[in-house]
Amino acid sequence: MANRSGTAQRPNGQTQGKICQFKLVLLGESAVGKSSLVLRFVKGQFHEYQESTIGAAFLTQTICLDDTTVKFEIWDTAGQERYHSLAPMYYRGAQAAIVVYDITNQDTFGRAKTWVKELQRQASPNIVIALAGNKQDLANKRLVEYEEAQTYADENGLLFMETSAKTAMNVNDIFLAIAKKLPKNEQNTGQTGSGQGRRLTEDNPDNKTVMNCCK
Amino acid sequence: MIVEMSLQLLKHPQMQFGATTFFAKQHKGDTCGSNGLPLTPNSIIIVGRAQILKTFNCKYLCQYLDVIRGKHERTIVVSQYCGEPLVSCIEKRPFDWQEVRQIAFQCIGGLQVLHKKKIIHRTLSNENILLQANNEIKLFNYGLYHMSDAGSLVSFPILHVLYTAPEVFLNGLSNSIADPKCDIWSLGICLAELILNKLLWSSLKLGQRIRKVLSMLQASTSILEKIAREHNCLERYLSIPDDLKDLIEACLNVHPNKRPTCEELLIKPCFDSLKPKDMAEKNEDIYRPFQIFTLHEFYHWWQLAGGDVPQELKKQGLIRSTPPILSIPSLVLIEGTILGQDRNPATLYDPRIVKMPLDTLYQRFAHIPFQVFYPLIHSQSDIIEKSNPPPYDATGLPLIIKERDPEYQLHRVILLRRLLHGYPFTSDLIVDEAKKDIPPLLRGEIWAALLSVRSNYATEYMRIDKYTHTSTDRQIEVDIPRCHQYNELLSSSEGHKKLKRILKAWVYKNSQYVYWQGLDSLTAPFLFLNFNDEAKAFACLSNFVPKFLYNFFLKDNSAVIEEYLCKFSQLIAFHDPQLANHLRDINFYPQLFAIPWFLTLFSHVFPLYKILHLWDKLLLCDSSFPIHIGLSILTQLRDRLLTSGFNECILLFSDLPEVDIEKCVALSSCTYENTPKSITSREHENEVYHKKSNLDITGVSLNELKNELCPRISVRDVANILLKNPHKMLLIDIRNTRAYKRCSVVNSTHIPFSSVSFTENIIENVGRDSDLLKSKGEKIVVVVGDEETDLETFPKFLLQCNISKVCVLHGGFNKFLELPASLSIPCASVGDPSERQRN
Repeated sequence: MANRSGTAQRPNGQTQGKICQFKLVLLGESAVGKSSLVLRFVKGQFHEYQESTIGAAFLTQTICLDDTTVKFEIWDTAGQERYHSLAPMYYRGAQAAIVVYDITNQDTFGRAKTWVKELQRQASPNIVIALAGNKQDLANKRLVEYEEAQTYADENGLLFMETSAKTAMNVNDIFLAIAKKLPKNEQNTGQTGSGQGRRLTEDNPDNKTVMNCCK
Repeated sequence: MIVEMSLQLLKHPQMQFGATTFFAKQHKGDTCGSNGLPLTPNSIIIVGRAQILKTFNCKYLCQYLDVIRGKHERTIVVSQYCGEPLVSCIEKRPFDWQEVRQIAFQCIGGLQVLHKKKIIHRTLSNENILLQANNEIKLFNYGLYHMSDAGSLVSFPILHVLYTAPEVFLNGLSNSIADPKCDIWSLGICLAELILNKLLWSSLKLGQRIRKVLSMLQASTSILEKIAREHNCLERYLSIPDDLKDLIEACLNVHPNKRPTCEELLIKPCFDSLKPKDMAEKNEDIYRPFQIFTLHEFYHWWQLAGGDVPQELKKQGLIRSTPPILSIPSLVLIEGTILGQDRNPATLYDPRIVKMPLDTLYQRFAHIPFQVFYPLIHSQSDIIEKSNPPPYDATGLPLIIKERDPEYQLHRVILLRRLLHGYPFTSDLIVDEAKKDIPPLLRGEIWAALLSVRSNYATEYMRIDKYTHTSTDRQIEVDIPRCHQYNELLSSSEGHKKLKRILKAWVYKNSQYVYWQGLDSLTAPFLFLNFNDEAKAFACLSNFVPKFLYNFFLKDNSAVIEEYLCKFSQLIAFHDPQLANHLRDINFYPQLFAIPWFLTLFSHVFPLYKILHLWDKLLLCDSSFPIHIGLSILTQLRDRLLTSGFNECILLFSDLPEVDIEKCVALSSCTYENTPKSITSREHENEVYHKKSNLDITGVSLNELKNELCPRISVRDVANILLKNPHKMLLIDIRNTRAYKRCSVVNSTHIPFSSVSFTENIIENVGRDSDLLKSKGEKIVVVVGDEETDLETFPKFLLQCNISKVCVLHGGFNKFLELPASLSIPCASVGDPSERQRN
C-alpha cells in the first residue's frame, strides 16, 4: 500500500529497493479540483476554499511500491485557458499526467479530452495519462456518466478513476495506479536528493531523454 | 483651558454609542450548498448586508458603526445611541402640539431617507425614537430588518407587536412582502401615543395586544378616536388640532395602499411651519458642513484606547456562556435531525441596549491640545508654525504600534481628513503624508487619492454594463468563491456580488484586455477597503492597472511577462550575484514561481493585511517596485535558497513561508532607492509614466534581453551619478586600446576585452585592476563598450565572480557624445589630459 505520510519518505535500511523519480503534471479546466487532488495526496488535507492556482505550483510526494520507492514531482498547473501557453513548460518531459474534470460539469469533460489530445500529440510519447473524474462526492449532481468517461478512457488507453479530493476517495489509488504503470528501470535508482535541478526543459530538449526513466 | 475645549469637542452629547446583540439562524444538518462548498454562515451574510447601513449619515438616524461576529453565529451591532427613548417620556411630561409636529416631521424625514434606499424599518416604535436635548430626534435600530434579509437570517420575528401594521400579521410573519407602508402605520401609533400622552394597552398581554391591533381592521370610526376612547382620553382627542388629527389618521389607515408615503405626508399643512426657510438651511442637506471628526473615527479611537464591545456586553450580562452539557439534545437522527433540545432563550430577540463607557477615551485624550483638531496645513510664517504644538512623535515606532496608538491615530486622522477634504488640490500633501504612514481608517480614501481617482467615478461606473452575460462569467464565478475567503466581507454574499460586478465592469471597460485568473485577487484589496463604494473600488482598480500592470492582462501577455521576469533576474544579479548564480546553476527560473507574484502584485500570495501594508508603499512608487519586492522576498529566504537544490527551492515557494512584511517593505524600499531607474527600465512600460528619449534605454528586443544576465544602464543615469556622486561608480572601459586612447571618460578604468581570459571565473584574470573590483564595495560597475565589443561575456564573467552591481552602458561609449551640455561629463584622450572633448 502507498506510504502517504508526510514524513519518513527517506528509504530506510529495510526497503533497500530502487528509487525512481517521475515528473507528473496535472491538467484540466479551472475549478475542477486539481490543486485539491494534489493537496489531498501530498498532505492529506482538503480546503473548501482552495485558492485558484496562477502559473503553477510544485509539490513532491514519495510512495512505496513493493520494493521500489517512487518519488513524484508534481506540477499543478493553472486551469484557465489563458494560461495554456505556459502548459508545455510543465508537461514537457513529464512521464505522467493526470487530466482532471468535474463530474458535475460536462464542459470540463470536453476540456479534458482536448488536454488528452494535446498530450498525445505534444508530450513524451511514453507518457502515462490518467483521467480523473473529480468531485465524486457530488455524484447526485452528476452530469458526466461514469460509463461515458470509462469508454473514452479505454479508447485512448488512459487510466481512469472517479475521485473525490473532499472524501479522499481514489486519490491515493490513482497515483498508485500511475506508479504501477510507469516503467521502472535501473537508470534512475539512487538518484534522489537535491541538486538535480533540471526539471524544466525549456531551452534544452536533451533533458527529456536524460530525465525520462522510461527510456 | 484649551485642553478643556478639546474635551468638550469629544464630549459632544451625540458622540455616544451602544450595542445590541442577537444570534443569526444556524444552518441545520447538511452545511453544504449545491456547488459542494459549505454554506456561508448567516452571520457573515448579515455582516455583509449591514455594511451599507454604516454609510447612512442623516441627522434623523442613529449612525451604524460596526457589526461584529462572535462565537456560534452571535452578531453584535454597534450604533450611535444618544438621547432618551420617547417611551420613557410619555406619561411623564406632556408634549405640546408643536412638539408633536416637530417629532413627526423628523421621523418622517428619517423614514424617507430609509425608504429611498429601499430599507424598511419594520420595528419603528417609541422605544427606538430617541429624543435629544435640543428636541431633535434620531431613529434607532432601523437596520435590523434589512441586515437580516427581511428576517430570514434570524430565528426570531422582527416586529414590535403594538406598533405593527395589521397587514403584517395578516400576511403571515414569514411572508416577506416588503412594503414600506408598514412603517407609516407604526409612525401613526407612535404619534398617537405621543399626542394622547398615553402608553397604549400597557397592561395587556402579548396575545391580547395582537388582538387589539387586528381589531383596528373592523374599526368603523377613526382609529385614533377609537384608541382615545379605549384609553379614556376622548377629551384630549377632541382638543387635537385638525392638522395633526388628519396626519395621524392618514397614517393609521388600515389599507396599506391608501396610507400615504413619506413624501405625501411631508406636504401636509401641519408641517408648513417647520420647513426650512432660508437657503443656508436648505443647502445643509446638500453640502454637509465639514466635521472635525466623525462618529466612526470616534469609535475607532475608542477601540484603540481599549474599548471592547463584546467585553462590555459580557459585563452587562448580555453575553452569557452556558455549559455545553445543557444544550445536548435528547436524540440525534442519522440524517442530522435533532430532537428534544430546549431552545436556547438567547436565540430570541434581546431588546437590551448597552451604552459603551467612554471615560477611558476621555482620560486618554484629556491632555490633547485644542489646536490638534485644527491642524496647520501650510503657513508662510515661522511664528505661526512655531506656535503650533509639536507634532506627536511616533517616527521611531514600528508600524504595528503606530496603527494601534490612539493618540497618534487621532493626530493622523484629523490631519488626513482635512487633506482629503481638499483633494484634489491637496494631492501633493497627501502623498507626503502617505510616505510617513497611512492611517488604516482612511486607507481606502487615501489610496484613491494616491491613484488620482477623479470625482466623477460614480457616474462612470454607473454607465458600465455589469450584467449582460459574457463568456468570462464562468471563470469569474468559479474564482470568486476562492478569493480571500477567510475575510468576512469578501466571503459574504454581498461581497461576492460586488466583486463579480466590478470584475465584469473592468472586463467590459477594458476591451483591449481580458480576464486573467488573478485579477480577482488584485481587486480584492480595493473592494475590501471600499466595500460600501463599489464604484470607487472599480476606479482604483482602473487606475492601478495601467500604472503598475500595464499590458499584463493582454490576451497574449507573454512578451510583457517574459520581459518583466528577465528584469527580475537581472535585478537579482545586480544586487545579489551569489544568489543569482546559485539560482541559475540549479535552473530555478522566475517563470516557475514569480508569475503569480507579479501578475497579482502579491495579492494572490499574501493575506489581505499584509497586502495593505505592501501596497501602501507600492502606491508611492512606480511599476518597477514589485521587482524589488520580489528581490526582498528572496533576500529574506536567502540562506535557505543558497543551501537548497531545485526541488527544495521550488517547494519553498509553492508553500511560501512566513514573510515579514515590514522587513520586506524596508528592504525593497532600500534597493528601490539605491538602484538607478534605468536598471529596471522596460520596453513595455506605460509611456504615460515613463517618458523616454535617446538618453534612455529603448529598442532592446526580448531575445537580446534574455541573453543578458546583467542589466543595462542608461547614459543619463551614468552621467547623473558621475556628476553628483562620482565615488559611487566604477566605469570599466572594455574597448580596445586604440579606441580608448582616442577618447575616454576621465577616471575610467581600462580593461581591454581581449586582455581577459574567461576560462575560469577568477577575478584576478582581469589583471592589475582586479583589486579595484574586489574592494569596490557598493560602487556600481558600469561596463562601457562599443558596437565592436562583446558586451555579454565580460559582465557575465564579473557576475560569476560574484561582483555586485554590474551593469552595461546602453548604446556603448558613443552615447556619452550625445549628452546635452547640462549632463556633459569630462572626457579626454589619453596622453593629453588637458583636452576636454564634448559635443
